[in-house]
Amino acid sequence: MAALEWIRFGLVVFFVLFGVTIFFLEIFGVYRFKFVLNRMQVAATGDTLGIGSCLVGLMIANGWNAASAKMAFVIVFLWLASPVSSHVIARLEYTTDDELLDNCRMVTVEEAEAEGDDENGDI
Amino acid sequence: MSRIRKQSEYEKTFAFRFFRWLGGEKDAFVGNMEMQPQKEYVEEEATIEERMKDRKQVIAEAYDDSHNMELRFFNVLYKIFSIVFCVALVFVLILTVSHLPAVGDPDRPTSNIVSETYITDGLKDTGAVNIVTGMILSYRAFDTFGETNVLFIATCCVMILLMIDEDEIKKNKESNDRGFEPKNDVILQVVARFLVPVIFLFGIYIILNGHISPGGGFSGGAMIGAGLILYVAAFGFEKTEKFFNEHVYKVVKVTALLCYGCIVTYYFLTGANGLECLIPLGEAGKILSGGITLPINIFVGSEVACTMYAFYALFRRGGL
Repeated sequence: MAALEWIRFGLVVFFVLFGVTIFFLEIFGVYRFKFVLNRMQVAATGDTLGIGSCLVGLMIANGWNAASAKMAFVIVFLWLASPVSSHVIARLEYTTDDELLDNCRMVTVEEAEAEGDDENGDI
Repeated sequence: MSRIRKQSEYEKTFAFRFFRWLGGEKDAFVGNMEMQPQKEYVEEEATIEERMKDRKQVIAEAYDDSHNMELRFFNVLYKIFSIVFCVALVFVLILTVSHLPAVGDPDRPTSNIVSETYITDGLKDTGAVNIVTGMILSYRAFDTFGETNVLFIATCCVMILLMIDEDEIKKNKESNDRGFEPKNDVILQVVARFLVPVIFLFGIYIILNGHISPGGGFSGGAMIGAGLILYVAAFGFEKTEKFFNEHVYKVVKVTALLCYGCIVTYYFLTGANGLECLIPLGEAGKILSGGITLPINIFVGSEVACTMYAFYALFRRGGL
């Protein structure tokens, strides 16, 4: 059983450290990126992937009980709420900012697929 | 093996930039991030002139204190009495503070039988496992009634200030920018369709379990209000009006407040006169228990939910 405990400990450490790293990148990116949509995307990524990873680590550490189930619900709720709120904010920025197209390029889905996957990153 | 670098070479290193940032010589965000400096407030000469004219007009027509002796006397008296009142208030408050007992003093008047009775007899008297809810909704139901009235009056005041007539909206359709919001967002609608029922269910659970587990009318009502706001943000007011319009709002709000008042009056009248209260306490821990705690939780919850939604709707479009 000691080996299983060690594996569990390793998984906990991996998930929590991964989440904390994502948080660090999120904060770095929020202050580093110059364009508002980039900053918003970084914040949304950190809120979903970072919190999700940290909570998965805590669930493994906590074991199989009611508290873990609550954490799973928190993950589901966050993964529904955070990306959607970011999407709504981005849409508001798109509708209110007249100079938005000076800073970024607009493509349709078909054009993006035609250009290939490697260029999708810098839309 | 240290050597002195040239200044131009040193300026390229990380250390130079770090110490420059530390010393505050250069703001790293200036020129790099989208931001606009705050504009200095400049008042136009026309507004200044208008203001001076207004003031002169007010003094000349309304407060002509060079000819009106009564007014001059009142102004002097007003200043004297305001100073006297402030000094007296300061004196009274400082006197009160100096007479307060020390923190942790066992003889202080607050460490009396009340809090001990709440903890030991709370379950027996109110039937609520959650002592806090039992306390604020049974022992101190009058206080909570005041809080609920505050919510009611606050929404009434916001309605007086922000409510717009339907005719007015139709007349000023051009200048009205309330219609230009992003609407019919498919992503938000799909998520709202999934989340809103869950939020409503959770809010109702919190309200109905207020006397058993942590929670109660205020938190559960806030949750239901948030669910309503999410529904409005996703689907717009036309769909919301099918189940929650001004009529429903009025009926729910007034009924909740009236029922709360009646129940509390009955409870206090019987309790104060040593009569038997007809509302059964029930078996502690069951959902139908807690005497007046459960119905009052429901009424407070509906009141809070209506208040939250009303604030949002009134601020967003000036109507329910």
